[in-house]
Amino acid sequence: MNELFELPTLFTIGDVDITRQIAYFFLAVLVVWAILYFGLRKPKAVPGKFQLVIEELVGFVRDGIAKDIIGPEGSKYVPYLLSIFLFILVGNFFEITPFVNYPITSRMAIPALLAIMTYVIFVFMGFRKNGLSYLTGIVWPKSVPVAMRPLVGIIEFFSTFAIRPLTLAVRLFANLVAGHVMLSLLLVTGFTYLFVEPFEFTFNPLWGVLWFLLGIAIFIFEMVVAFLQAYIFTLLSAVYIESSLHPEH
Amino acid sequence: MLEGNIAGPLALIGYGLAAIGPGVGIGILAGNAVQAMARQPEAAGMVRTTMFLGIAFTEALALIGFVLFFIAGG
Repeated sequence: MNELFELPTLFTIGDVDITRQIAYFFLAVLVVWAILYFGLRKPKAVPGKFQLVIEELVGFVRDGIAKDIIGPEGSKYVPYLLSIFLFILVGNFFEITPFVNYPITSRMAIPALLAIMTYVIFVFMGFRKNGLSYLTGIVWPKSVPVAMRPLVGIIEFFSTFAIRPLTLAVRLFANLVAGHVMLSLLLVTGFTYLFVEPFEFTFNPLWGVLWFLLGIAIFIFEMVVAFLQAYIFTLLSAVYIESSLHPEH
Repeated sequence: MLEGNIAGPLALIGYGLAAIGPGVGIGILAGNAVQAMARQPEAAGMVRTTMFLGIAFTEALALIGFVLFFIAGG
């Protein structure tokens, strides 16, 4: 199974080995840039089809996530939220793009990087907005009875500073790994039953077709997962930023 | 620490056990969210956002199990 995630070097620039992971990483950056640049280069009053789709996406992040969760001051965070949303969306959709078939977010480095970025932003904004009372509000919460405060404080401290970034990264990573492995297994099994020599004659080809159909069903399911995971990552980033801006809630 | 062949399967069982609680929790959560949406369709957007949030927090336990599976089974 490690073959699915350990990629051979494609070519080398200086000391840097370029694998598919790195190549697709830059491809994803390029795709996100191209979507935004060509979608919003010449904004028309009556948008064309492509511009309409992009405006829908931007509006979805701005109104549905930033303004809805963070409130009026959420518009400050729209650029960050929009970039991570589009980047994760494109990275996830590489999983089901024909001839690419590899989600860059299924390697821990990328979800971890994105989660650390969110972590730095929400901790930094918490301290900047509330000063030291941000930390004391977490380890010594005023809203619970005094006897419970040390216990709740410890739990809150760990859940805020350790569990939050960890789960943020692992959620994305685990979903994409599971999807990639499942898709690969089903499609490779179908292919083997239908076309590879020793199996071709011993099994009914119907089994191969069945595996392929199951693979296609999972394929459609993965489309939903790709969008949902990008949405959830962005939503939770917004929630974490909100909770460090207004820690009393 | 266990040696050799048994560490991987044990870690897998542990992950399976860790996934039970969040599974039940997400089921209850999503069921109640559907009920709320059916009773009050105009609040569907708010309920949906809150449901995703709740799922994300409930899922954390299963994800910790998933990480431990990799650490212990690896």
